[in-house]
Amino acid sequence: MPAAFSAASIEVRELRKHYQVHRRSAGLWAALRSVARRPRETVRAVDGISFSIAPGERVGFLGPNGAGKTTTLKLLAGLLYPSSGRLRVAGFEPFRREAEFLRKITLVMGQKQQLLWDLPPLETFELNRALYEIPRRQYDETLGELTELLDLGRIARSPTRQLSLGERMKCELCAALLHRPEVLFLDEPTIGLDVSMQLSLRRFVRAYNERFGATVLLTSHYMDDVLALCPRVVVIDRGTIRYDGDLGSLVRTLRPEKLVSVRFSAPVPPAEFGRFGKLQNAEGDRAVFLFPQDALQAGVARILAELPLADLSIEDPPLEEVMRELFAASARDEGPAPGGAP
Amino acid sequence: MARRYLRLLGAQLRIAGLVSLQYRADFFTDGLLSLFWLGVNVAPLAVVYGRRETLAGWSFPEALIVIGWFTWLKGILDGAVNPCLTAIVEHIRKGTLDFVLLKPADAQFLVSTAKFAPWRGVDSVGGLLLLAFAFVRLQRWPTPGAVLAALLLLCTAVALLYSLWLIAISVAFWVVRLDNLAFLFGSVFDAARWPVSVFRGAWRFLFTFVIPLAILTTYPSLALLGRLDARTGLFAVLGTLAFFVLARQIWRRAILHYSSASS
Repeated sequence: MPAAFSAASIEVRELRKHYQVHRRSAGLWAALRSVARRPRETVRAVDGISFSIAPGERVGFLGPNGAGKTTTLKLLAGLLYPSSGRLRVAGFEPFRREAEFLRKITLVMGQKQQLLWDLPPLETFELNRALYEIPRRQYDETLGELTELLDLGRIARSPTRQLSLGERMKCELCAALLHRPEVLFLDEPTIGLDVSMQLSLRRFVRAYNERFGATVLLTSHYMDDVLALCPRVVVIDRGTIRYDGDLGSLVRTLRPEKLVSVRFSAPVPPAEFGRFGKLQNAEGDRAVFLFPQDALQAGVARILAELPLADLSIEDPPLEEVMRELFAASARDEGPAPGGAP
Repeated sequence: MARRYLRLLGAQLRIAGLVSLQYRADFFTDGLLSLFWLGVNVAPLAVVYGRRETLAGWSFPEALIVIGWFTWLKGILDGAVNPCLTAIVEHIRKGTLDFVLLKPADAQFLVSTAKFAPWRGVDSVGGLLLLAFAFVRLQRWPTPGAVLAALLLLCTAVALLYSLWLIAISVAFWVVRLDNLAFLFGSVFDAARWPVSVFRGAWRFLFTFVIPLAILTTYPSLALLGRLDARTGLFAVLGTLAFFVLARQIWRRAILHYSSASS
């Protein structure tokens, strides 16, 4: 193994995955013509990305639909063969799909399931025990731990088809982690789940990562997942990396303002608001002000001193807004986003 | 290695057994259908032999042996081969083949042992009964050597059936919409109910060398009757081996295609 790869759990250099697809216009004539001649087009799903992830890191992999997130995860899991570039996961070249490599990783896909539909999840667990050759004692121990962390209880014994989406996802995670993988690829694991189930899955992923020191690469459309789990984010769009770094500095770079939300204890005439700073919105007894970082302290001090307040809170702008801005900027072809791009 | 895969086979069979226990009603419907099809299979023979004593050198009870063998193999096809065929096409369509490819075991083995329909084994019992009936009509029993040769050819026939099936599902990686694949496969297999000498010219060449249906039913029947020469037997075994290697190669190409084309 080259020295450069030794410290990282995941190492990607100039990775590319291009597809040839058939293209035709709409309509009967185009359909008939495409029978004889099928024009091909190259889709650059992943186009020269590089990053490295240390063992035990939790990284959020973000991007709009079709950005190349799932393709990258599949390349890392060895399901796809790269067009060019180098990649190593847990010391292996994924596309060789060696048994030792497959024992070290897992891929959980929120939209696909491996559980046997007609049988209780416990039977899938048992099958995976045989497939991964997990010694009985280790299996019982891991299953016990996962049952406790995921609060599986009786659901592992009920037929899968009778379980709710959230219960099934808990069991999917359990089935995917019985062999105690070192690297977790989670592709939209909370999709379609209610808020409390999302919360409990996030808590679980964090607990698993802390207990076993596993590396986690997560894609999700729910920014709360990313906020709760990932100190670092890699943002990908149209196959290239737009940002790689700390989540906090991404927010600060793109949206340097802080949101100051206040609730008044007595009516305040709206005309007064302009004196304190840039107003984002006001409704009833509530108002939200925007302050640049350097003016925050003085602004908040003035509000506290001069306005009748029942409550005040200071927040970063919602991550959804930050992401929307980042993707819009990328769509306008304004070049790479500012920040720690690789 | 062999022990590991035997253990895995045990685990997969256990799951298939548990799933089929969920659908116990199938046992009765499959059993009834199997009896019905047994009748349907024999009917054309009865019609043909109603007007003549022999057909291409085969008497009625001898032709019944081919049908018996065909019914037995059909039980295996419907019980072990077709369910996997349907499952793999479903896997490709839904994208869940990813989970199979992520397991640290041979993907071909995993997809080939993923699903069974044990109730369809009823067909095999019907086939055995038909074989017994044919020999009663012939008023003689096969020699132990003939039974042994026939059993060896049964293994050959199953291996060949499996290879044909593997080639067929490999096609599913390029042409995902293969709803009719099982139907097509069943129709081609249907021709194996007749002794291959019934076919003439191009058809005979096709069913002996291209889609070697002769190996499935005609040769084992000849072996049971003690009429198969050693050279043809050897040709059957070697031919099947070649088919098996070819099927494995096509499967590997197909998996590579899947890995490099899908997302």
